[in-house]
Amino acid sequence: MAAPRIMVNVPKTAARGEIVEIKTLIAHKMETGHRMGLNGQRIPRDIINRFECTYNGALVFAADLFPAVSANPFIAFTTVAVASGTLKFRWVDDHGKVSTTSAKITVT
Amino acid sequence: MRLCLPLIALLIGGEATAQSLRPYQIEADAITQSLTGKTGVAARGQAIIADRQRGLCLLCHTGAFPEPHMQGNVAPDLREVVGTLSAGQLRLRLVDIRRVNPDSPMPSFYRNDGLTRVGAPWRGKPILAADEIEDVLAYLLTLQERK
Amino acid sequence: MKRLCVVLALLSSGAVASDKRSGVEYVSPETRALQADDFANPGMLWVGGGEALWNEAVGQTKKSCASCHQDAKQTMKGVAARYPVFDEVRKRPIDLQGRINQCRVRRQKAAAFAFESEALLSLSAYIAHQSRGMPVTPPRDERLWSYIENGKELYFRRIGQIDINCASCHDARAGQRLSGNLIPEAHPTGYPIYRLEWQSAGSLQRRMRGCMTGVRAEPYAYGSPEMINLELYLMNRAAGLPIETPAVRP
Ligand code: HEC
Ligand code: HEC
Ligand code: HEC
Repeated sequence: MAAPRIMVNVPKTAARGEIVEIKTLIAHKMETGHRMGLNGQRIPRDIINRFECTYNGALVFAADLFPAVSANPFIAFTTVAVASGTLKFRWVDDHGKVSTTSAKITVT
Repeated sequence: MRLCLPLIALLIGGEATAQSLRPYQIEADAITQSLTGKTGVAARGQAIIADRQRGLCLLCHTGAFPEPHMQGNVAPDLREVVGTLSAGQLRLRLVDIRRVNPDSPMPSFYRNDGLTRVGAPWRGKPILAADEIEDVLAYLLTLQERK
Repeated sequence: MKRLCVVLALLSSGAVASDKRSGVEYVSPETRALQADDFANPGMLWVGGGEALWNEAVGQTKKSCASCHQDAKQTMKGVAARYPVFDEVRKRPIDLQGRINQCRVRRQKAAAFAFESEALLSLSAYIAHQSRGMPVTPPRDERLWSYIENGKELYFRRIGQIDINCASCHDARAGQRLSGNLIPEAHPTGYPIYRLEWQSAGSLQRRMRGCMTGVRAEPYAYGSPEMINLELYLMNRAAGLPIETPAVRP
């Protein structure tokens, strides 16, 4: 499939100082590295190991992920609406593949 | 010599997959004779039941086994269903419960005919071998003693 | 008159409409919450992927699904609620996945998608999602009757080493616990589903094959007439229940 499948939910508008909830979902197999394939060989680990969210350039949330996280990881967190602008999301997997998306928020 | 080897292989193969079941006799609602001529070992029977993929009992029944939340409630507890059934009656219920209750969802554990679309790994084989039936039976009988 | 009786018998054999309960009512509150939240439901990744594919021009014709069907939100509304239908071309029933591939091959002149491929699951999820909340309404088409009847026969046929039929579990013992799992009524209203055990989306056929392997039977092949007929019977049996795609199941 062409684009990586990602979903983020950021409120379109928020009042200044309001705590907003942000939800993200990305398609990824999150192969733990512990499973055996049909040929009896270990399936190499391939997980998203890092997630970051910046808000107008400032890092507001980050997480290191480990093999126990299930496939298609869902990450939700909150942040304070400080100013109108852009939230950028970034996922990095074991192959160094970076997936990104962004969303706008208007703060009144 | 060339000919001999495949022959031996064939014989061993036939033995290992146990295509033909041991004959048994049903009297009233019981099989009084052991399928193997020997008495089973209760501890082995207990292990067979504890291994869900082997015994299957815990898919439907509960019993004195670890992980009660992984035990079914499709059927009463094993300690209950043994009731006051004799060894022979229990043996028939393990071998082919459908002889007693044609509508039972409980499988016939010692049967390999009259089945439809059996998957390749299980084709031609009963769910439990004759000695395994005797072992499970031995375990069930200990449940009656405990009562 | 005889025909009519057959259909009436078929339909009355299932649970009464008001008694029917979707599989979502047999899952844990956490799983239900996951299904209810479009931003947490992993199945929505397939819906989103399907939307992208819908608009992608492919095949010799360089046409997208949208070139002919425009906005799926309008043109595909209610479609999944009435499939499988009778296919004029093949002169037998066809399910939604089959129809998608038929358009792919005949109208886009592209290769058919493989069963359980991400693309086929995504397009199926995207199209079925357009019917979410709409009641299952199987077509009143007498050409389908004999196939529904065959699906019902298969549903009541004992199979596998365990030698048990679908009804033994899904009609007679729904709500009881098989090992650690609650037995649902086997309503096909949420497909493709996101199944936690699979860590992925999957089709109704994959789900049914799981039950068949579970009873140690040789599962029917993907896309086989048996599978389509089972789908037909299950959809008729579920008439009136709302479509939930993408459902989440344990
Ligand atoms: C697919 C479900 C299922 C499985 C698997 C199963 N049972 Fe049962 N069993 C039942 C049900 C249901 C009954 C209640 C009586 C009936 O419907 O036949 C029952 C009844 C029994 C009875 C009482 C029979 C009678 O006549 O009163 C015994 C003993 C028994 N089971 C033992 C076992 C043992 C031992 C195993 C495993 C080796 C096992 N069952 C596996 C469903 C099952
Ligand atoms: C031994 C009992 C048993 C038999 C027999 C059985 N199933 Fe199931 N089925 C289950 C269980 C248990 C689940 C739910 C599994 C879970 O939640 O992980 C299920 C789930 C399903 C579902 C999913 C329903 C939903 O809410 O999405 C469908 C559809 C289904 N089965 C169809 C069938 C068909 C068709 C057959 C016959 C070919 C069949 N089953 C035979 C036990 C059974
Ligand atoms: C060249 C035009 C064309 C293209 C491209 C095309 N289709 Fe179709 N599609 C049709 C026609 C014509 C029908 C039949 C309409 C009818 O008879 O109701 C149809 C029917 C369908 C139906 C059944 C609708 C119903 O109401 O039963 C579905 C679902 C469908 N198409 C999906 C797709 C998908 C998914 C794609 C892209 C992969 C696609 N189509 C691409 C022309 C097209």
